[in-house]
Amino acid sequence: MIPTLTTERLILRGPETRDWPAFRDFFASDRAVHAGGLKDAKQAWTFFAAEIGHWHLRGFGMWTVEQDGAPIGLVGCWYPETWPEREIGWLIWDGFEGRGFAAEAARAARAHCYGPFGWDTAVSYIHRDNTRSIALAERLGCQRDVGAVHPNPDTLVFRHPAPAEVAA
Amino acid sequence: MTPHVVDVPVLETERLILRAPQASDFDVLAPFVMSDRANFIGGGVDKDISHAWRILAILTGHWPLRGYGVFVLVPKDGDAPIGSMGPWYPEGWPEPELSWTIWDANAEGKGYAFEAMVEIRRYAYAVLGWETAVSYIDAANARSIALAERMGCVIDADANGPDPDDVVYRHPSASEVLA
Repeated sequence: MIPTLTTERLILRGPETRDWPAFRDFFASDRAVHAGGLKDAKQAWTFFAAEIGHWHLRGFGMWTVEQDGAPIGLVGCWYPETWPEREIGWLIWDGFEGRGFAAEAARAARAHCYGPFGWDTAVSYIHRDNTRSIALAERLGCQRDVGAVHPNPDTLVFRHPAPAEVAA
Repeated sequence: MTPHVVDVPVLETERLILRAPQASDFDVLAPFVMSDRANFIGGGVDKDISHAWRILAILTGHWPLRGYGVFVLVPKDGDAPIGSMGPWYPEGWPEPELSWTIWDANAEGKGYAFEAMVEIRRYAYAVLGWETAVSYIDAANARSIALAERMGCVIDADANGPDPDDVVYRHPSASEVLA
């Protein structure tokens, strides 16, 4: 089973079929521009399936973030082939921004990466124009790592605080 | 530890084990996806390794989303997978399909696909409860058309495929196959 994480306001659980409509709608909106680009329903479904397949292939992956029983985004671990290193990523569906949910979920995900998953470091790859996401990375204590390899030229690498710093 | 996310039965034929896709399959799948042998299924020499990895992730994720998916074929006299086949129903497909792909060119021409598909079709009808099944085949894919005909499929001119170039082959019905 995919582990379930609980925070003050949120539940992080494995993605399921019922999460599909919100995922599809996100990738049909302009909000997907910094998340790999707009996708039609056919393309989005394959990405949704791959989110789940990622857990099977890597042993970790993105959790569905649930608030009051509704999916509000995907947050967690992302390490597809060709990614330079393991990433902590976040996607928040329309209407659920600005309330600190992404930060709350990302902290829980990061703690699980550093704890049970045994990671010793983590990055977040963020499009250089994605100011909201950059602000979130900074709020999480991340710092630009200009020496790190990036997956594509438009991406900035933000390095998360090390496990000892987060636990301290 | 890999979390258990996929309940996939293991099927068996005379020469093959049919099991869930797994991470190690990538070594055989990736070169296939990036070759011209994959032109009919969305691969090709213009595709990169990240695309190949996503395909393996999709093959896996299809299982929990639909409750069924493709099996990976492994000959009993070897360790390496040779292809993936089975129920396939991604978004945009007019109806659930029985699909087949041989990844390893050296495994073609030995009747593996036919052997696996007969068992998988039986599984789809007897266990999944399907009453009918189609296979969507590119009109230029002569090998695949030959296999469909060997399985008793006939062209269903009234049905649409997901792609305009697809020909829809309709399998014998559940009652015919299970009789």
